[in-house]
Amino acid sequence: MTGTGLAQPGEVSPHSVQRERVTSAELRRHRRRSSVLAQAPSLLVLAVVVVFPLLYSINLSFRSYSLVTPNHTGQWIGLDNYTRMLHDDDFHHAIVVTAIFVVAAVALETILGLVVGTLIDRLRRTRRVAVSMLLLPMIVTPLVVGLMFNFALNAQFGYLTWAMKSIGLTAGVGALNSTPGALVVLVLIDVWEWFPFVALMVLAGLQTLPKEPFEAASIDGASTLQSYRYITLPMLAPILGVAVLFRATEAVREFDKVYVLTGGGPGSATTVNDLYQYRVSFLDWDLSYGATLGLVSFAFVLLLSGVMYRTLSRKEVQR
Amino acid sequence: MFGKSRTSLAAAIGVALVASSLAACGGGATDPVSSTSASGSASANTGGWTRDYAGTSLNFIGEATANTAIIEKLLPDFEAKTGITVNVEQAPYDSLVQKAVLDFSTKKGNYDVLSIPYEYLGAFAEKSYIAQQNDFVNNPPAGLGSDFSASDIIPSLWKASSNWKDNWYGMPSNSAIMMMFYRKDLLENPDEQTAFKAKYGYDLAPAKTWAQYKDIAEFFTRPAGAKLVGATIADPFYGVTLAGKRHVATVLEWMNYSWTNGGDLFDSAGQPAVNSPQNVAALAYEKTLTAFAPPGFTSATWDETTAQLQQGTAAEAITWGDTAGAMEDATASKVLGKMGYADIPVAKEGDPTEGHLGSWTYAINADSKNQAAAQIFMAWALSKFVQNELAKQGGLPALTSTFEDAALQASLPYWKQELSSLNQSKSRPRIPQWSGISDALALGLSEALSGQATPQAALDDAQKKIVALMSGALPVTYQ
Repeated sequence: MTGTGLAQPGEVSPHSVQRERVTSAELRRHRRRSSVLAQAPSLLVLAVVVVFPLLYSINLSFRSYSLVTPNHTGQWIGLDNYTRMLHDDDFHHAIVVTAIFVVAAVALETILGLVVGTLIDRLRRTRRVAVSMLLLPMIVTPLVVGLMFNFALNAQFGYLTWAMKSIGLTAGVGALNSTPGALVVLVLIDVWEWFPFVALMVLAGLQTLPKEPFEAASIDGASTLQSYRYITLPMLAPILGVAVLFRATEAVREFDKVYVLTGGGPGSATTVNDLYQYRVSFLDWDLSYGATLGLVSFAFVLLLSGVMYRTLSRKEVQR
Repeated sequence: MFGKSRTSLAAAIGVALVASSLAACGGGATDPVSSTSASGSASANTGGWTRDYAGTSLNFIGEATANTAIIEKLLPDFEAKTGITVNVEQAPYDSLVQKAVLDFSTKKGNYDVLSIPYEYLGAFAEKSYIAQQNDFVNNPPAGLGSDFSASDIIPSLWKASSNWKDNWYGMPSNSAIMMMFYRKDLLENPDEQTAFKAKYGYDLAPAKTWAQYKDIAEFFTRPAGAKLVGATIADPFYGVTLAGKRHVATVLEWMNYSWTNGGDLFDSAGQPAVNSPQNVAALAYEKTLTAFAPPGFTSATWDETTAQLQQGTAAEAITWGDTAGAMEDATASKVLGKMGYADIPVAKEGDPTEGHLGSWTYAINADSKNQAAAQIFMAWALSKFVQNELAKQGGLPALTSTFEDAALQASLPYWKQELSSLNQSKSRPRIPQWSGISDALALGLSEALSGQATPQAALDDAQKKIVALMSGALPVTYQ
């Protein structure tokens, strides 16, 4: 302390500190205000298309509302829809089918995408052609994919049925008409449609990898396989994680192909969660129970995405 | 001045062109120009149809079937006679119901006239989605054409499709009825008849009982390379085709087996009886038929069964009468003139038969702003001219006189059977909970037919769901 109250050179005045604090607080407020203003239009759109339906669905889930049955006019029934969901065997079955579908499809897509992406990365002259061909399945509308395979897998006249019969894969009935066969076929069709997405992500990732670690590994005498296993794969992991996250959230919402190809059958063998919700809401017209199932599914997907995103972020920080 | 004259001249030419094209579309039957004047009422040139609503535009949605397609083709006649224009939308069954319900529930009145499946009559009437037509039916307004006669509409069909709790809600738009289709060329073949008698001990003829139906199915199921009516077949041939997909088509077909076996969805006290012994036996019987059906029956609906019959790969089926036109379509059918049409078989010879009615009805949206014009359209669609055109072009009419028309009976091999089946038809429940009942049954039947569950277990499960669904609405005293 100098006793003069004046700040010595190199010493910071309390007033200036206060002023700076005030200024930085104002600046933060100003920034926050500007950012809110700048985002306002998109937030408004988001509120209309996401928040309102979400709040409406939450409200609906505590009511009994049907568009066709007269005594279900939207009366308050508390947690009845949620209790019903806990005892709904069809819903539980749909969750199991969806889980099998997502795990099998995404796993196969990741493995196949990784292999094909790596192989295409090694191509020189034909890489562009290969990438263009990879895009083809993805640009076909899922509904059209379903219709294409509906013809191909027709039990009597389908060329894929004929091919499978020729190599002894199916017996008399078509693949879509056996209980395990229908789900396996749906998984394979999803893999056909979406492994190129993973392959393209891998390809993009491989082209951004630095060369130095590979040069160092080469000098140290690492084989190609060792370089791939210990350098390429770990460096690709975040990209693969994003691809898996994208595909998993998409696969959980599978509807089009199942609707066209099997309608959820035979029996309930391929009734995935979205198809079950569709049946509840638009065939049984039980909109309030449909909203309950939708909300729970939404919460689950949100949780899944959150967990995967956090895991990826943590790995990224560790790197 | 000159500019104005030129504009007037162009307008006059335009009006003349439009008028002449309308007259041409009307097949020359009417002359809209001379009978014009938007405010003018009926004249001889419009066939008695009022032009009071000329200039009105109606939106109509119907199922994507022959009837709707033919109505769409005939619209120039309606527009020429009434001056009312109609925009037609065609949609498959599920999609049509969804579009209708969403339009009703939002009260937009986007569709003025809808052709709806009659099982939704109760639901839509109870919710006041569709307008009552008591006044229109009981005291028809002036200005309906001279070729429209309400008394000509088949009474049982009209009541089943359009009357709910003694109130009228429309007029039948389709008289679909289930019947038995069979390959008469096979059944009338002397060699096949001899072989059949040797194997089963009785004469080969169109099945009258379910036991005979199954024997015929078994007898005609042949592998590729076998002989059929003396010729070697390159592809397998199947005795029967049936719908087994988790779909309403499977439910509606099974109900024929159930009804003729003494079963029903509700018992005499109005309580659900889906898992009654009669129903379980009917499902077990249908399951035995699957051994003689083409592979892929578990993903088949009425579309696939129609295609299989039309392409000549199956000998018989319980299917919809409105697909008979496809069998007799010279441009697409491989069984032209080879198909026979008969009553649904029964458990024992002599039992009364019952064909499943699948009628649709024209209904008017309660929120439509064009109620009167919509009624005119509905009446025109039931006029003799339109109904005869439906018959000639492969659709199904709803008038007694059209079914009794001697020329049509002579030219259409299925014509007499359609009327006979309509006269012994039975309706499925038209209660508001039908869609949920149908969905529960579709799952149970599909599981049983695909072998995932026994008929008893599948129907027990359906019964449980239907009891829960009907909670608060039992007993069913009116359906």
